[in-house]
Amino acid sequence: MSTSANSTASVGSKISVSGLRKSFGSNEVLKGLDVEITEGEVVCVIGPSGSGKSTFLRCLNKLDELSAGTVIVDGFNLGDKTVDLNEVRQHIGMVFQHFNLFPHMTVLQNIMLAPVELKKQSTADARATALKLLDRVGLADKATARPAQLSGGQKQRVAIARSLAVNPDIMLFDEATSALDPEMVGEVLQVIRDLAAEGMTMVVVTHEMGFAREVADRVIFMADGLIVEEGTPAELFGNPQQPRTQDFLSKVL
Amino acid sequence: MNIFRAGKLAVAVTALLALAGGFAGVSAATASQPPTAVTGETYVIGTDTTFAPFEYRENGELTGIDMDLIRDIAANQGFKVEIKSLGFDAALQALQSNQVDGVIAGMSITDERKLIFDFSDPYFDSGVQMAVAEDNAKITGYSDLAGETVVAKRGSEGETFANSIKDEYDFTVKALADSATMYDDVKAGNSVAVFDDYPVLAYGINQNNGLKSVTEKEQGSSYGFAVNKGQNPELLAAFNTGLAELKDSGEYQAILDEYLEQPAPAAASGFFGLLSDSLPALMKGLGLTLLATGLSILIALVLGVLFGFFKVSESRVLRGLASVYVSIFRGTPLLVQAFFFYFGLPQLTGQSIDVLTAGVLTLSLNAGAYMTEIVRGGIQSVDPGQTEAGRSLGLGYVTTMRRVVLPQAVKIMTPSFINQFVMTLKDTSLLAVIGFAELTYQGQQIYAANFRTGETLLIVAALYFIVINLLTMLSNKLDKRFNK
Repeated sequence: MSTSANSTASVGSKISVSGLRKSFGSNEVLKGLDVEITEGEVVCVIGPSGSGKSTFLRCLNKLDELSAGTVIVDGFNLGDKTVDLNEVRQHIGMVFQHFNLFPHMTVLQNIMLAPVELKKQSTADARATALKLLDRVGLADKATARPAQLSGGQKQRVAIARSLAVNPDIMLFDEATSALDPEMVGEVLQVIRDLAAEGMTMVVVTHEMGFAREVADRVIFMADGLIVEEGTPAELFGNPQQPRTQDFLSKVL
Repeated sequence: MNIFRAGKLAVAVTALLALAGGFAGVSAATASQPPTAVTGETYVIGTDTTFAPFEYRENGELTGIDMDLIRDIAANQGFKVEIKSLGFDAALQALQSNQVDGVIAGMSITDERKLIFDFSDPYFDSGVQMAVAEDNAKITGYSDLAGETVVAKRGSEGETFANSIKDEYDFTVKALADSATMYDDVKAGNSVAVFDDYPVLAYGINQNNGLKSVTEKEQGSSYGFAVNKGQNPELLAAFNTGLAELKDSGEYQAILDEYLEQPAPAAASGFFGLLSDSLPALMKGLGLTLLATGLSILIALVLGVLFGFFKVSESRVLRGLASVYVSIFRGTPLLVQAFFFYFGLPQLTGQSIDVLTAGVLTLSLNAGAYMTEIVRGGIQSVDPGQTEAGRSLGLGYVTTMRRVVLPQAVKIMTPSFINQFVMTLKDTSLLAVIGFAELTYQGQQIYAANFRTGETLLIVAALYFIVINLLTMLSNKLDKRFNK
């Protein structure tokens, strides 16, 4: 398994996946994945539609049940029934393709909900944090707006701020820019890029090859529920070894 | 116009007194156990809704020969009565299920009924008479009925008599539940003649019900007061003693004279006269309608939320439980449910149930089934991504439901809730069949006494219309205000 050349000194394994399989009924979507992700690493997952990228991501915080194999996140074994999933999920932020903002709340309420409900912060502290996060994603003036009043790019930046509010140390991005108009992709990628620069451990499922090449420490190419090839962006984009990878890249680049 | 000419009446009363004497031995036998004292006891007495002049409402109060008789006998014997105006069939069912202690409803003493009830000494000698529409010149006797349809009261002596001669004269017998409906049926031309007990028919004709009698009274059986077989022997004995004493004192004759000699021609003047006369009783009924609706909707809401959550839960057992509940109450008619809870359940459990409780139980369980589906639909119509977003933030199932899913689901459910509220309000009218004195029931009471069916129902419908539309407007306003 290759490790990235330009990663910061790895402290240890942040996410450890072995033999991960996932079936929906008789349809096996993940056919045995083994992945180690170290702290501070930015891993981009690419591949054709239906390759299992999103399902893989959703198994990392157990939004989807595992059919077989083990997933260990921050030392928590997700297959262990005694593990408090709600506790684990507070370590893992997730950003969705369709934002999934809460439409009945203001931007500020969206961000404050989890810290207050989880009793991590007082309402006043949560508000201060939320405003700081909004400032960080460039939306300080939208605190009282409703999600319906925002553009797609703004919604996704709010969603990122919302995930960050519980202070996670891993972020998962599930095609975070796929539902956006082209001119809004840049503003969202900039926020993700900033997070990467701050040393956040991230797994990014994306169709933005340029972004993957620029930001990733490691790129994983998936097809048909398997990891076909992985390596540094230079290796994978510059000199793909597998015909399947070559074929995919020739179509998208 | 009064057919109760003194001569005829004298014959009737004489016959009655003779019969009463004849039955004395029988009643003594039924009351052979040493009767316990009835003094100070309160007995629940079931009666018909619409059997004028024996029982009917005047200004909202039950009155009539039966009512005066039972009240005077109670006063004479020192017990109290609580009258329940249930309808004839319902009163008999209530007596069988011990919902009431006794029934006085112009009921003929028959051998069949004697198998399940114990009867008092006869207190009135009745008979069946046939009547046709006032302007009907063709039907003057049974022989003119060939090929026609006649109407009679379900389970009454009139029905028995009509059935006994229908083959001979080649006509069809249709059974309806009360006299007012039968008279309207004849006036509307749906049937050509009605067979009814002669005092009732005569009273109706005196109230200008648009009919005329065309045959002489058939010698019929006698009316008796009934208790359930083997139950309340002391009540039966007290009734017999009281009846005998009223006859001795002349009070009995005075009651008969009051209703049969001078039928009250209390015809209200015009539509607005009817409106102002009937409004107090109707408003009382409306109050009960709203009470039953309010209680039922509240309980239905609790049931709906509970079973709605069961339906979306991950437990197969809870989902199954909710599905069984919903399919039972959506899969059977509300009317059957009402009968079951009021008559069936007490027979199964031996525990009697009052009509409001039975009505609210029926409506809330029924509406609860529909509410369950509304809640389930509302929750499932919220984008699953909302739950995923909540759960991925580390929020638990309950918190995610409470803060994220339900606020959105409630917004989606509200119009359906308002709809169900209106449905339940209208469904309360079905409770009239078990004698719950709501708006429709009050309307039936009024036209049973005055025979102005169309106008009375128009007023009843208008009251429903106004209340439902006011409540709908209010609900929509609240919906807009809280579910922006």
